[in-house]
Amino acid sequence: MEQTLSRSNIYALISRLLLIELDETLLEQIKSDENILDFFPNFKEWSKVKELDSKTLIEQFLSPDFTNISLLHLIPYESFYIREDQMIETGGANPVTDMYSAFNFHVDYAKSRVVSSDHIGVELEFMHYLCSAQLKAEEAKDEVAITELKRVQKEFLNKHLLQWAPLYLINFKYEARTPIYHDLGEMALEFILSDNEYLSGEVK
Amino acid sequence: MYLESRRTFLKGAAFSVAGAAIAKGVFSTDVLASSVKDSKFTDTPDSLSFYPPLDQWEDFQELSAESWKGGGIARRGVQSEDNPDGIKVNDYAIVPTACSNCEAACGLTAWIDKNTFSVVKYMGNPLHPGSRGRNCAKGYATQSQMYDPDRLPFPLKRAPGSKRGEGKWLRTTWDEAMTSIGKKMNHTLRKGDELSKKSVMFHVGRPNENGFTGNVWSTLGCDSFNSHTNICSSGGRTPTIQWANDDRSSPDWANAKLIFLNSSHAADAGHYFQQSASFIADARKKGAKLVVMDPRLSNSAGMADLWIHAWPGTEPVIYLYLANRILNEGELNVDFVKKWMNWEVFLDNKKYLEFMVEKGYISKMPEGNDFDTFVEVLKELYAPYSLEYAVKESHVPAYKLEKLYEYFIEAGTAISSYFWRAAAAGNRGGWMSGRTGFLALGLRGAIGPKGGTFFHHWHVISVAGKGGSSTIGQGKRGSKIPKVDVWNELAWPPEWPLSTYEMSFLLPHLLSDTEWQKKWIDKGLNVPQKLAVWIPRMYNPVWINPDGFRWLEVLKDETKMELTFNLSPTWSETNWYVDYILPMGLAGERHDQHSEATMPARWTSFRQPVMRVALEKAGWKPNNPNRATLEAHIKAGLGEVWEENEFWFDMCVNYIDPDGKLGIQKMWESKRNPGKPVTIAEWYDAAFGDNLPNLYKTATNDARYSTAEFPVYEYMRDHGAWLEQNDIYSAQEYKLKDDGQNLISHGHKYKKSDCYLDRRTGVITAKDHKTGWKYPGGKKPIGIEIDGERMEGFATNDKKLDFFCEWLADDWKWPEYAIPFYPRNEKEKEEMVHIVSHVNHMYMNGDNEFALNTVFRLPYNIHTRSANSKHLMEISQNHDPIWISTQDAKKLGFKRGDPIRVKITDTVSNLDSGFFVAMAVPTEGVLPGTLACSHHGGRWKLKNSVNIPNGVSDGKINSNNTPRDMSNPEFMAESPKNAGKDGEKIEDFNGDIGLIGFGAPLAEMQMDGKEGKLQYIEGIKPFKTERWAEYNDDTSNIWWDGLSGSWQNAVAPAHPDPISGMHCWHQKVILEPAEKGDKIGDIHVNYENNLNTYRAWRDKLTRGLDSDSKLRRPPFIKRPWVPLSEKAYTVEIKDV
Repeated sequence: MEQTLSRSNIYALISRLLLIELDETLLEQIKSDENILDFFPNFKEWSKVKELDSKTLIEQFLSPDFTNISLLHLIPYESFYIREDQMIETGGANPVTDMYSAFNFHVDYAKSRVVSSDHIGVELEFMHYLCSAQLKAEEAKDEVAITELKRVQKEFLNKHLLQWAPLYLINFKYEARTPIYHDLGEMALEFILSDNEYLSGEVK
Repeated sequence: MYLESRRTFLKGAAFSVAGAAIAKGVFSTDVLASSVKDSKFTDTPDSLSFYPPLDQWEDFQELSAESWKGGGIARRGVQSEDNPDGIKVNDYAIVPTACSNCEAACGLTAWIDKNTFSVVKYMGNPLHPGSRGRNCAKGYATQSQMYDPDRLPFPLKRAPGSKRGEGKWLRTTWDEAMTSIGKKMNHTLRKGDELSKKSVMFHVGRPNENGFTGNVWSTLGCDSFNSHTNICSSGGRTPTIQWANDDRSSPDWANAKLIFLNSSHAADAGHYFQQSASFIADARKKGAKLVVMDPRLSNSAGMADLWIHAWPGTEPVIYLYLANRILNEGELNVDFVKKWMNWEVFLDNKKYLEFMVEKGYISKMPEGNDFDTFVEVLKELYAPYSLEYAVKESHVPAYKLEKLYEYFIEAGTAISSYFWRAAAAGNRGGWMSGRTGFLALGLRGAIGPKGGTFFHHWHVISVAGKGGSSTIGQGKRGSKIPKVDVWNELAWPPEWPLSTYEMSFLLPHLLSDTEWQKKWIDKGLNVPQKLAVWIPRMYNPVWINPDGFRWLEVLKDETKMELTFNLSPTWSETNWYVDYILPMGLAGERHDQHSEATMPARWTSFRQPVMRVALEKAGWKPNNPNRATLEAHIKAGLGEVWEENEFWFDMCVNYIDPDGKLGIQKMWESKRNPGKPVTIAEWYDAAFGDNLPNLYKTATNDARYSTAEFPVYEYMRDHGAWLEQNDIYSAQEYKLKDDGQNLISHGHKYKKSDCYLDRRTGVITAKDHKTGWKYPGGKKPIGIEIDGERMEGFATNDKKLDFFCEWLADDWKWPEYAIPFYPRNEKEKEEMVHIVSHVNHMYMNGDNEFALNTVFRLPYNIHTRSANSKHLMEISQNHDPIWISTQDAKKLGFKRGDPIRVKITDTVSNLDSGFFVAMAVPTEGVLPGTLACSHHGGRWKLKNSVNIPNGVSDGKINSNNTPRDMSNPEFMAESPKNAGKDGEKIEDFNGDIGLIGFGAPLAEMQMDGKEGKLQYIEGIKPFKTERWAEYNDDTSNIWWDGLSGSWQNAVAPAHPDPISGMHCWHQKVILEPAEKGDKIGDIHVNYENNLNTYRAWRDKLTRGLDSDSKLRRPPFIKRPWVPLSEKAYTVEIKDV
């Protein structure tokens, strides 16, 4: 269960960071949580973190960097990488939507501010919910549900995220101009590869 | 490698905050929809360029945007009684109109939700030949302007007893305003004397229509039509007048091999932007090269094949360098030049050739008078424009100029260019850039052919003022309207007889300069010393014109401007100082015939009030057919918003000349319903039908319209655009028609026995009793015969392209500039100041002295027209820092974001104007020694809102008893009973009107008659609004403060070009670090010095009329808006 909680938490963290800009509350949480900070070794040592308050850090460094790597210069949408014509599929024909729909999940675009449901942050948040559901199943000792949820996670990871997210995250890491996003690119990639290894061992 | 370095992620379990609290939470859950197999809707369109076919426009159903985002109908199904949670289907009426945010007139369609009777979105009009269904951000923003919470909901009147600018306003009715204004106009005009015809002045910003309002002023008998042109484009038009007696260039971007932009205009900011940019993209896709000449790295320059960063005003030397190489390297297009340049007229004018020898232009008189002699003269004349000289004068590196020449030659005759704003608008003598630019094009034969550059008048349709056959008095195409027989010195002062358009930016100077008035009155001219009525229309001269404080002085003076009103949908800096503000419609709320030369074709768009059209097509009838647009807008909840067409129809018939004694009433009285003003359908059916034969034929032969009461109007109403003629190339070669008895030119018949052929030049002239007085020798040139072929030729007197502008040399005092020329050395630069920029590098003496480039638009903005759009303000924020090269910034110690004092100083008067404080942005994107700061920044307001005490309480009637729903017969049957007479109750209006809430920070101002100051005290803030609350529920998210720009126009003195009349926008500036207490946006102006700077430009540079003058201006060149009689042109000036 500890492992599932851990996976759920990490999916939540990387989905949030890849989805939208940091806000002061979350930045303060990260700065004050040694466990999280360990995921961001360069950020932890960054002199600006000590010199500047969170608001200034966000406005002058972090948000501009996020804008560059997530909105302007890199495309964080699966369909861009998968489709021949590199168009982002914003309509209902997006295959990832089918998978969400199968679990009664529906993307709230007003909250997510993305143009399509196959944004990396959305896909990772979906994984977070699957892990949370697994955690509940583990608490209830519902072995059938646990097995099924692990299978679904593996399927989603292999059918979607692993098909394109590594390419995006490698570019993300190298294009990043702030330590936190550099570290995030590296950590997120490492984590989903590691999680796939774990799920492959669990689901035969 | 990642797996090798993997770490354990297990400790993630120990986060101090649960993951669920960190996740954004973008998912919600819902139930699966039932099958939608039978639905006609699909989740994804087949094509991104989808538009429904025209026959579905009246009734088109489309899923709401929610479905595209929310997983589609496959998930939730289509909304119905059985499935209330399904995706909503919008039931649209699609009505075409045209954008009005810039001058391009791109097609729009309003998608009106019938069930709420509101516009859900504006899209393009796929039937528009120029815009082809596409729009830029400004087009789509029309919706946010329509539902702008700060838009004026009803006519406003300055509170009686208050002073102009005091900010006390009352709600009034259209009828009260029209009665007061109409009486004042009637009392003025019925005097019938010369001064009265100069005293009712209209002042238009961008007209965005082709001749309607000019026709109104024509019927009023006034020479009082002012436009903004001389702060915009007169320097771009002057070279076109001299070369071709046309108005402006008209490039064929789409087929060009070289696109040579003389600015960032066309491709990223300005003229005809979206259409031009799309055509340019098409051409580049086919391999065309793009060259951008601009001292600033604009968006266009950034993506160009070549960026030519010439020092402002030195562009002519680059064009003449090209000319020199073309001539001397055997690349001349001999056939074209021999056929179409006026070399015969040039070589025959011995007096002028002697003048050239005397000036050292050429070394000796030419011996022959044939074409080869002409070429030899050109070779000698342009030989001094070597690569070395071009590099030295322009500061452009040699390799770039050589590359430019290479592109220029490779493109053959397919070179498209546009001489507009930029060089032409910024610099004294800037018009010479176009004059020399056309020379380079002409020498290659690139004027007229496919992919080349041609002229405006062949590519435009101007019929908005030609619906006269629908009226009792005007006659077909206005043939019975008397010509105006006075000349207004306030619009066309005697110092600038060749001014392209009116000297409108000098209006406050002319009205306040009593010394100038007296001088010309003593010389016998009847100069007005005040205006009875001044009427700006969607125009904001206080903010956009130079010397803004001078405008404020005159606007506040009720002895100089007795009654003022602005026809404007929104607040502006100018509106704050007028007597009435009458809310007129935006792009989807007004009628205009609007055509522009965006391609080698003649097309027109038809701008329409979309709510009215949707209602009328669904069967609604207005109570008052002459106020149908006003009634429809009240029904739509827009407030008492009207349109100018119906306003002027009604004004002329019922308010300005109610008893018909002035002869104005009958001009606008309906032939169909005598006693009533003409209606929209009557007017436009005639305007289109009488003047566009192909449209008339199509509409009247179309089964859908052939039995209609107004077939041509209805055709345009339904389509919104029309292509009358396509593929118009080299039209000067159109044959003159010969019916045996007559020669027919431009539709006019001339008896062959009255026609004469000049065997040397080939020019065919004809007797014409009406217009013969305008032309040398009293005969009208109607065509040209070359190699036995009779053709229409260009619009010049010699029917060719005027390399040599003979009238400029012989009759109008400017011989040294009658051919394309630029000084060849420093000595000539000092002598020929009229064509050397006032910001040339020769005037820069220290490290902190710079040429400030001001004439570029802020992306996504149009001057004053975009501050009412939350969408455009969010993406642009009116952000307007000052660009400074990194090396200059380093030298002066300026860093990004630093405030800098920018002191404006004049190189003619040597007077200082004051300073503005700007935000420094060091960049590699600007030529060292020059700066860039758009003069479109620095909006301001003096209050955040005004309270209209009677705005709520005077609401007497409310026609919307039934909820808005076009499917409800009760709603369709309702209409305001007394629109314009009684105040309509305005929904969700709490008594306060906000002022430019999205686009203008709050400022405080001081002025004392000599010095003026303005300081911002608060940036733009988030706010809550009740007007269209649902649409505006994001106003609390405003994050921009609008504080990066300065109102630099107020600091700028007026710089009237001595020839074109253009206000030369660029400034010589001295940079200093900001002083303690300075804030970005502060301005400090010495406007007494500015008045003297204007006088210095007038007195030291112009060559105006004198006692030898017989005419006010060459009558054969265009004098816009209102046709004048010979009497008006004739002048006698006493030698006192």
